Amino acid sequence: MDRIHTIGTQTDWVVMIVYLVAILLFGSYFSKYNHNTTDFFFGGRRFSWWLIAMSIVATGVSSHSFVKYSAKAWEYGFSSSMAYMNDWFFIPFFMFGWLPIVVYSKIRSIPEYFEKRFSPSARFFVTILQLLYLVGYIGIGFLTMGKAILPLMPPTMSLFGLEINITLMGLIIVIAFVTGAYTTFGGQIAVLFTDLVQGFMLLLAGLMVFIIGIDYVGGWHAFWNLLPTEWKMPLAHYNKPSDFNFVGIFWQDGIAGSVGFLFMNMGLIMRFMSAKSVNEGRKAATFNILFMLPVSAIVVSGGGWVGKAMSMLSNSPIPANTEPDFIFVVVANIIMGPGVFGFVVAALAAALMSTVNTLLNASSAVYVNDIYNPMRIWLKKLKKNDKGNEKRALLVARIATVAFTILGVLAVIPFSSYPTVYEAHGYFHSTLTPPLVIAIFLGVFWKKFTPAGVIATVIGGVSLMVLGAYYPGVLIAPFDHGTPMDPVHPYTYIGALYNTFVCLAVGVIVTLFHKQFTKTVNRIKKYSNRNLIMSVMVIVCAIFFMLVILNIGGVQFLFIASLIMTFLVSMISSYYIKYDPIAQTEGLTVSSLHRAKEMFKGSKLNERDGEIVKVNWNVRKDDEDFVNLSKHEMNKMNAEVGDLIYVSDARKYLGGLKSFHSTIGEPHAEEGIIYISKEHLQNGLLIKGRLLTAEKEM
Amino acid sequence: MPSFFNTWLPFIYLYVVGGLFFITGLIIAVKSGSLNKQIPRHRKWFWLLIFGYCFFFILHALLITAALYW
Repeated sequence: MDRIHTIGTQTDWVVMIVYLVAILLFGSYFSKYNHNTTDFFFGGRRFSWWLIAMSIVATGVSSHSFVKYSAKAWEYGFSSSMAYMNDWFFIPFFMFGWLPIVVYSKIRSIPEYFEKRFSPSARFFVTILQLLYLVGYIGIGFLTMGKAILPLMPPTMSLFGLEINITLMGLIIVIAFVTGAYTTFGGQIAVLFTDLVQGFMLLLAGLMVFIIGIDYVGGWHAFWNLLPTEWKMPLAHYNKPSDFNFVGIFWQDGIAGSVGFLFMNMGLIMRFMSAKSVNEGRKAATFNILFMLPVSAIVVSGGGWVGKAMSMLSNSPIPANTEPDFIFVVVANIIMGPGVFGFVVAALAAALMSTVNTLLNASSAVYVNDIYNPMRIWLKKLKKNDKGNEKRALLVARIATVAFTILGVLAVIPFSSYPTVYEAHGYFHSTLTPPLVIAIFLGVFWKKFTPAGVIATVIGGVSLMVLGAYYPGVLIAPFDHGTPMDPVHPYTYIGALYNTFVCLAVGVIVTLFHKQFTKTVNRIKKYSNRNLIMSVMVIVCAIFFMLVILNIGGVQFLFIASLIMTFLVSMISSYYIKYDPIAQTEGLTVSSLHRAKEMFKGSKLNERDGEIVKVNWNVRKDDEDFVNLSKHEMNKMNAEVGDLIYVSDARKYLGGLKSFHSTIGEPHAEEGIIYISKEHLQNGLLIKGRLLTAEKEM
Repeated sequence: MPSFFNTWLPFIYLYVVGGLFFITGLIIAVKSGSLNKQIPRHRKWFWLLIFGYCFFFILHALLITAALYW
């Protein structure tokens, strides 16, 4: 099929370039707020819920959303929105399970949680899966960005007399360069603030396309009547066709995708970690899912819906060779005037940067915290609990960002074989999320879940998932709910149910047989040739895993080999891993959250509600990390010495940019005054003469 | 008129299977004490969670009805 090229005008290009440069400069301004890796990665745990919520919108309603949902809206109608309205089911697990655990356990990455909760080896396996997930996501981002910009480009262009063919891959490399550079120097604070602007711009651009498009086809009544009834259904057909059906997408997006997005998308988790408190994080999540996601469903799908209505007109302006992934850009070009179209595409381009730079930032956080620092500790170049050289860590983070940008570009290659970005993203989610989702879920909500269980989930689960991918007609078919199997891309969506089921089954069964494994391992420990026995087990596991990966031996043999391997992995893990089920669950599971808060505070909790007080400030000469308030203010706040406190510039529209956390010290007698240290002044970026608000945290 | 497979079956599946996950999450949060209904702020969260489920349930039901009969 011939691709559409050279749409848009010179004015559009000028608007696009001005917009992108303005966003780059805006982001660069905020890089000055990065003092250390905590600021670079997490934004310093200081921001208000509305700022977090808006920055989540820009990440959720990213350019891949515009491209992929408009494509399905164009092919199937309103049901393209269903993925935006099925995230509420897991919100109790997130708001009252994972979110407080992440904040109170002070982890800097998801793999770190696995080390605390299970063992360093569990952290190692989870790190690999987490990085694969992030790199895959970056690849999807680059692919969609290329698809969004390509229709605007001419087929060839001349540079210094050299004729250059403009290809999807070439365009992606240029985009990756700009995005990587921006994230490398900006960090999380830059990401948060550019996202705030981009969140608004995206909503505006999407709504503009939808509203102007409805006007184009003759108003709401004409738009509604142009669409056939099937196109107006908010949920897709139960199990047909293979490339878009309700039940497959429910398991792939509503279950694996929602849990993956909320629980293991490090980019999103880092947003919540930059909230000033757990409660602010909850508010951000609620506002986002309850209000912003339904609005976003219209914003990202509107282009496709309008395109479908336009195609029903007797003199349809939509070119016959329009690929579904190009529909948003094509529709925007038809209905928008010069310059406005440029703004819409620039908002789209900036949105990709928003999504991808969040993911790049997250990838480098995982690299620094889960590979670089543990390696330095292992090589004895860094002591445990020692923060090390912050400047060096920042440099490593920036180099890692560059490396992950390159890996992200390489990840585009396998995804580009799918007919639409929607299917590529669907396959990616149903394949990469289940093992991690199950590992996190059981780890947080099931106190009995053991290190052997988590490692078996990752290795045994992945092995059975690979088998499912090789033999979908045998293994996934029993779970397919009647969805047809596409022989080229079998069970793109419903594969998530099989993958989730096998990972869950492995994790639960291995944990339930924990006592039996321990007994057998204790018996082996008494043998003189115990090391030989364990070495043989490791070798057998490695051979079986390779046989599965290379698909040697047929489905029955490989299925049995996977089960034996899972059994052996559980034995090996039980043999080598030292695990204290009491110490290693304290504050790390949902049943011990109170203890997690106590550990976070370092003393008994004070959960009495108190007022937020407004105070002027003076600086003490020392650098001790405590603040002093008058007895009067402490009484109003219901606070005691040793309580945690959040101090912020009183101007609410700053969203907490000028703020810091500390502990309450001994009271003084001067009402309306807070004494802070020089470091508080520096970290909080406070301005002389500006009023502060002080809020007891716990 | 679209068939049951295209109208109410996906709706029923979504809110029954999804609802099971939702209720399980709510029960775990309450039983573990993470969502403590003795704390006024948490009580508000509890009802907000229930409201969210009902909100999406009603929204989807209205959208299906509108598609079929409007």
